[in-house]
Amino acid sequence: MPNPIAGKIAIVGLGHTVQGELPGQSVEEIAVDAAINAVEDSGLRFGDLDGLIACKSVQGNGNDVTVGQLLGLNLPYVQSLDYGTCNFSLHLAVAAISAGLCKTVLLTYGANARSGKFDFGKPMYGADMASSAGLVHIAGRAGLALQRHKAVYGTTDKQFGMLAVGQRQWAQKNPNAIFRTPLSMDDYLAEKYMVEPLRRSDVTMISDGGVAFVVTTAERAADLPRKPVFVSGIAEHAGVRGEHNPENLMRPWLEDAAQAIWANTGLGPEDIDALYIQDPTALWTLQMLEYYGFCGLGEGGPFLAEGHTLPGGKLPLNTHGGQLSESYTWGWMHLVEAIRQLRGEAGERQLDAPETAMYLSSHGFVKAAASILSTNASVGS
Amino acid sequence: MSESLSPVYDPVAGQYFQAAAEGRLVVQHCNSCDALRWPPLPGCPECRSRDTTWVDVVPTGTIWSFVVYHRAFSAALKDQIPYTVAMVQLDVGPYLLGRLVNGERLPAVGDRVDAEFLDLDGVATIRWRIA
Repeated sequence: MPNPIAGKIAIVGLGHTVQGELPGQSVEEIAVDAAINAVEDSGLRFGDLDGLIACKSVQGNGNDVTVGQLLGLNLPYVQSLDYGTCNFSLHLAVAAISAGLCKTVLLTYGANARSGKFDFGKPMYGADMASSAGLVHIAGRAGLALQRHKAVYGTTDKQFGMLAVGQRQWAQKNPNAIFRTPLSMDDYLAEKYMVEPLRRSDVTMISDGGVAFVVTTAERAADLPRKPVFVSGIAEHAGVRGEHNPENLMRPWLEDAAQAIWANTGLGPEDIDALYIQDPTALWTLQMLEYYGFCGLGEGGPFLAEGHTLPGGKLPLNTHGGQLSESYTWGWMHLVEAIRQLRGEAGERQLDAPETAMYLSSHGFVKAAASILSTNASVGS
Repeated sequence: MSESLSPVYDPVAGQYFQAAAEGRLVVQHCNSCDALRWPPLPGCPECRSRDTTWVDVVPTGTIWSFVVYHRAFSAALKDQIPYTVAMVQLDVGPYLLGRLVNGERLPAVGDRVDAEFLDLDGVATIRWRIA
């Protein structure tokens, strides 16, 4: 399959706010604070932008119109996305730039779910048959999928717990991380179940925070101060048939996105120096490790137990601590960390000169996205 | 259970609750392609026909998976924890979510279950019991 985008578009600026509590601020204010940092980081000025893609917060605020008025720009291309995780925003930016709609795009996201006391127990799209049965909060569906995984493949709590324990180890090296208290395997196993088989440490925290990126053409990036991080390949796949798809909770459509991105780029799991997986629950990580081929289907448990994803392991995973330990931010901070590692700006947790990183995410149980990023413009072509 | 978590008055799903109140388990049947579907939808995702009838089905199946809630994520659920939710594949095909009564032993994936119906805060709802 052809890959017409490899090396042609780059992320040239990143910015974020404090992750934690930002009381009294709207998601738009938070998004704009992040945007100011991202534009400054890129070495550009707001007047150099010609596109804005605003990602709505989980509460539904922060679209292009409401963020746009605070930015004060009438741009050739503005758009909003319902889908978080930043992968979808990045892909839309790639599409818009490739189509010539714009050249230099600002991506924004702001969240105040913690200060705003957003109710994650409330059914997102209204009462349905799942909530009627008491299946509320993302931990419910994730727990069903994990229980099934345990029954079919023999995955144990101790194997699965390597995700929460490992990400805490990484978070201890990250001054931005909210949860930095050491978490041993014994601590993990001693935690009570929240939604059995998930414990508290298997599920994301809720935090406020904003993130923004500046994305532009490779030609433009060549004149800017930061080391460009090129988009080597992207893929998506929908699972919007939802529960009308047998065994949808196992999210088999993740494998379709995996096949597409490996085929498009000619790359494979062995080419990835640092891996980022958006993780509202650790179950996401387990599923994506398997479907994207970092280990065999059903072999995630033993693979994790071998310690490959921990600091010093052969597959550095969520080196910032992810959503389990660093912050919520719907996965946007995963891309921040990938770029910091590729630029060599990750401080105490800096990996040994990584060239290529991958970011995997999904919108709940309905849509998958994957991106490969590299400081080498020829990767993926 | 509070009304806010159950679509009792939904024009499509409401028919399920009416049948449950009479002790019947019903699912939608597509009159065009014969597919049985769950959860309720206004049209068939297999063939896109909207020609639908509700049919009674035998309320037996197999546990596909289950979770035990030790935390209430909604005020309406506070008095009910810990509670168990199971996804059950009916013998006739569709997967249905419902409460599970553990009975004398812990449930396991693959256990056979029958449905019983109960009134939970005024809403007729399905409850699986290990067969």
